[in-house]
Amino acid sequence: MSSKMVEFTVNGKKLLAFEGLNLLKYLLDNGYNIPHYCYHDSLGADGNCRMCMVEIKGKKRPQIACDTLIKEGLEVNTNTPTIKRLREEILQMQLRNHPVDCPVCDKAGECYLQNYYMDYGLYKEGKHKKQKIKKSKNIEFGRNVVYDEERCILCKRCVRFFANITKTNELGVIKRANHSTISTAPNQKLQSQYAMNIVDLCPVGALLSSDFKFKQRVWFLQSSPSICHGCTKNCNITIDYSSTKFQAERIYRYKARRNEDVNGYFICDEGRLSYKEYHTNRVTQIEYKNSIIDFKEAISKIGIEIFIHKDIVILASPNLYIEELESIIKWSKKLNARLYSPLECYKDKEFADNWLKEELRVANAYGVMALEIDTSTPDISSDTLLINFDHKLAQDINTLHRIDFITHSINSQGLILPLASWVQSSRHLINSSGIKQYAPKTLVANKPILTVTEWIEAIGGDI
Amino acid sequence: MKEVKIVSKRFDIEGINHIKKAIEHGAYSTIHKMFDKDPKTIVDEIDKSGLRGKGGGGAPTGAKWKLMLQDFKLPKVLVINCDENEPGTFKDRQIISKDPHLLIEGIILTSYAIGANDVYIYIRGEYHQWQNILQKACDEAYLQGYLGKNILGSKYRVDITICKGAGAYICGEKSALLESLEGKRGHPRLKPHQKEPEWYFGRPTLVNNVETIATVPFIVENGADAYKEYGTSKSPGSMLFAMSGHINNPGVYEAEFGTSMMEYIEYYGGGIKGGNLKGVIPGGASTPILNATEVAKAKLDYESIKELGSSLGTGGMIVMNDSVNMVEALKNLLEFYHHESCGQCTPCREGTAWVDEIVESMLRYSASYNSIEQLLQIGQTMNGKTICVFAPAVSGVIDGFVKKFRSEFEEYLRGVCNE
Amino acid sequence: MSFEFTKEELEYIEELSQRYPSPKALMLPLLWIIQNRLKHIPTEAFKAVADITKTSEAQVYGVVTFYTMFTLKPTAKYHIQLCKTLSCNLCGSKELLNLLKERFNLLPNQQNGDFQLTLVECLGSCGTAPVVQINNRLYENLTPAKLQKILEDFS
Ligand SMILES: Cc1cc2nc3c(=O)[nH]c(=O)nc-3n(C[C@H](O)[C@H](O)[C@H](O)COP(=O)(O)O)c2cc1C
Ligand code: SF4
Ligand code: SF4
Ligand code: SF4
Ligand code: FES
Ligand code: FES
Repeated sequence: MSSKMVEFTVNGKKLLAFEGLNLLKYLLDNGYNIPHYCYHDSLGADGNCRMCMVEIKGKKRPQIACDTLIKEGLEVNTNTPTIKRLREEILQMQLRNHPVDCPVCDKAGECYLQNYYMDYGLYKEGKHKKQKIKKSKNIEFGRNVVYDEERCILCKRCVRFFANITKTNELGVIKRANHSTISTAPNQKLQSQYAMNIVDLCPVGALLSSDFKFKQRVWFLQSSPSICHGCTKNCNITIDYSSTKFQAERIYRYKARRNEDVNGYFICDEGRLSYKEYHTNRVTQIEYKNSIIDFKEAISKIGIEIFIHKDIVILASPNLYIEELESIIKWSKKLNARLYSPLECYKDKEFADNWLKEELRVANAYGVMALEIDTSTPDISSDTLLINFDHKLAQDINTLHRIDFITHSINSQGLILPLASWVQSSRHLINSSGIKQYAPKTLVANKPILTVTEWIEAIGGDI
Repeated sequence: MKEVKIVSKRFDIEGINHIKKAIEHGAYSTIHKMFDKDPKTIVDEIDKSGLRGKGGGGAPTGAKWKLMLQDFKLPKVLVINCDENEPGTFKDRQIISKDPHLLIEGIILTSYAIGANDVYIYIRGEYHQWQNILQKACDEAYLQGYLGKNILGSKYRVDITICKGAGAYICGEKSALLESLEGKRGHPRLKPHQKEPEWYFGRPTLVNNVETIATVPFIVENGADAYKEYGTSKSPGSMLFAMSGHINNPGVYEAEFGTSMMEYIEYYGGGIKGGNLKGVIPGGASTPILNATEVAKAKLDYESIKELGSSLGTGGMIVMNDSVNMVEALKNLLEFYHHESCGQCTPCREGTAWVDEIVESMLRYSASYNSIEQLLQIGQTMNGKTICVFAPAVSGVIDGFVKKFRSEFEEYLRGVCNE
Repeated sequence: MSFEFTKEELEYIEELSQRYPSPKALMLPLLWIIQNRLKHIPTEAFKAVADITKTSEAQVYGVVTFYTMFTLKPTAKYHIQLCKTLSCNLCGSKELLNLLKERFNLLPNQQNGDFQLTLVECLGSCGTAPVVQINNRLYENLTPAKLQKILEDFS
């Protein structure tokens, strides 16, 4: 691609773009609805599905947009009758051996094939209802990926992911002609720590996550952009959750969200599956020495503890947002407390690799450092009051005098206060490259649960 | 009938596979004079001769060679296409079995002209016997100093490596061939956006058919004009045409372009076997069939066959007499295409299977009433919408059979066959 | 079961590797070595091939299943490949098939004792049709009688 801007037209409209830019990329980025399967921004063009055809002035036959480069004077038509008929014909071919079992397919609702054939009215014609070749369903590829041969349209996105992105070449096309399918090597399973990305990449329901399979129809899900808290990379994700009025909100999955500066198009499997942590072991009630107390009582207990202790240590989790950490800093100054956010206990050398996964398995360690919070481990004597804001280290500290604001339960005999998890809160994180990103609040608990800032406000008012 | 022997000049000499005998009969004479020439003059001579590729496409050879004359970062490569998979085609095999040293001589000249020291001959896996002959001929040429580090004491090096295919028609397509040579599945590549060489591991590469290269020694020795004395103005020279099927003397015989097809069939083929002529597939299975009326008009050159809506292809004619059931004949070819589609493009992968299925159900009298229209329609979807020209060729084959012998197809839909 | 290249094979491979710009190009040559020695390519051999060619076993699998001359199961002692494409068909390949069915009890893609029949596409010998390739040798201009003689001489 050159840095020269050229003028070209799409459906009669004059447009400007960089010379040599991929036409399909331009069209998709600019809101044109061009059916396509094999092209993907992260993988480039392969030209095999033949769905992205457009008419180019001066060319006798329709051309695939994914293999057309923009140049001066290019005249493109995306919606002529010829193109529409062609797409319909190629769709019919895709559907020839496709089971069209959308009612039982997990991809229904976000499937390119389903969308297109609905668009093209092919569902009424029953053209796809003829006898199909039976192929294998439910082949376990490993790492939670399940493959359905019958639904596969051989776009090779999955194969190209392992060829171009991870370079591990774990999948291949095998056999030939219409007997072709996708396979791992015989008796082998996928190994890549990023394998589940191919479920996102697959344009149809041929690759599904066994973790998500049959749990929820996608049209019952809501989506929210967010940031993975699995490590200091801060990969961009989409959280898919359900929130019906009378049911507790529930997260069903994380998916990768494109951000060229951070994670590109992908996330690691561990990050992807970390949504499960949200639901397990959550603290929901205020407890004191293992019995439930009410909010007022809790606030006054906090006041008393703070009053009677000279030495106060505050531990702040490096998973908290910048703004939350700032409230803690302010409060600790007011209390004359010692503030720490040790990082050592979040380190995991084995987790790190040279792509996305980073050693510090906590989201805002770089925010902690930017705010110059002490990251060493504090001394705690028997007279010290420990105020813990969800720090991992706290579970290993054995002290009687403690107040724990926590999201997930730990072994503590002190005062336990439920804290909103990062999904229920919002604000900024700083990642290892110094990129500051905003994570919006996704879930609102049916029973409201306080964030760090809200707790501090609540307590502050009382002191 | 004017006989011409350019490529086939030594075919009938006993023992010509042995280098001594071949040299006695003039083989490698051009190599001794080669170093006196500027490589570019050889390219120019080939360009001037109007030589067209004999692998099926008929592309001007000179233009392809010229693309190799630029400066490249990586060394150049010459690849010889001896995949010869096109049904009805068995001419490259004749060159290898009857005059392998002619091919090697052509290779040395070509490699010198374009500046490629590494040559790979991709030969189809089934050609075991011919692989051995070729290997032996190469070994002899190494021993005689025509191949290897210092050809005839010069500083020039040419190394030939023989690579075996393993059963895949599509690997005859040049980019699929290169994928195969790179150790991969033979999936044709997307066409480049501008004119450029082929690429083998990122190295600029020329791919030519065996017969194309075997024609080079004649042109280098006798000049472009000598070659142009044969043939027509747009299809100069000669070609190894072949006949198989219902013909009395099947085989490969060289003829100049422009020869009348019928005359060729009569003169060399000894006429139609077992009945009257019904049709001829002119240039390998992938070219649309000609009916008897068209055959009577046909001349063996690119333009004449093109005018008849078909193409000269590899020049391998499949001759059919009037006992042939054209629906069965089409079914036979569709099975071939169904089996050989590489499977990457949707229209070809699904289309080849679909048309095969439809004709099969016709033959079982269970096809639906609109099957003929459906066949033509699927053919259209396969035409011009795929990565390589395999699918369009299938489309042309279907069109030819169905349009020219439509009544036979209709018989199957009426539930009556005149068999 | 495991697979290893023999010492001689490895020496040959080393020599061969000098001729190519990348070890990836050794893919088909290596598979041929295995196919010739074992009459098939066992999946256990994929790793050895992948290691030398610097590819993955899934890639080797893809290549093996693309080319019809590579087989995952051992072929019989006499592998009869009967050409079924048009020229041979016009010249009587069906009669050869009938002979194989009736006299030798051989059906396409089946083994019967030392024999195995595969119907293959054009063998590039249409001028001498009909043809049959048995293992590495081509038999041309066949008639049922000639083929019968050939097969009877084997057994
Ligand atoms: C499906 C297909 C099969 C082909 N098979 C062969 C073949 O077997 N031998 C060959 O020389 N060319 C074959 N070709 C043509 C090659 O792509 C290529 O054009 C040719 O080798 C170039 O050499 P030439 O210019 O000397 O003819 C085939 C093309 C297609 C599309
Ligand atoms: S499994 Fe999905 S991504 Fe992979 S080739 Fe099939 S349709 Fe494409
Ligand atoms: S690399 Fe880190 S931030 Fe990205 S998905 Fe994995 S755990 Fe989450
Ligand atoms: S047209 Fe057929 S053979 Fe050619 S690339 Fe496409 S699928 Fe393969
Ligand atoms: S998206 Fe262009 S061919 Fe598949
Ligand atoms: S058709 Fe049988 S060898 Fe060509």
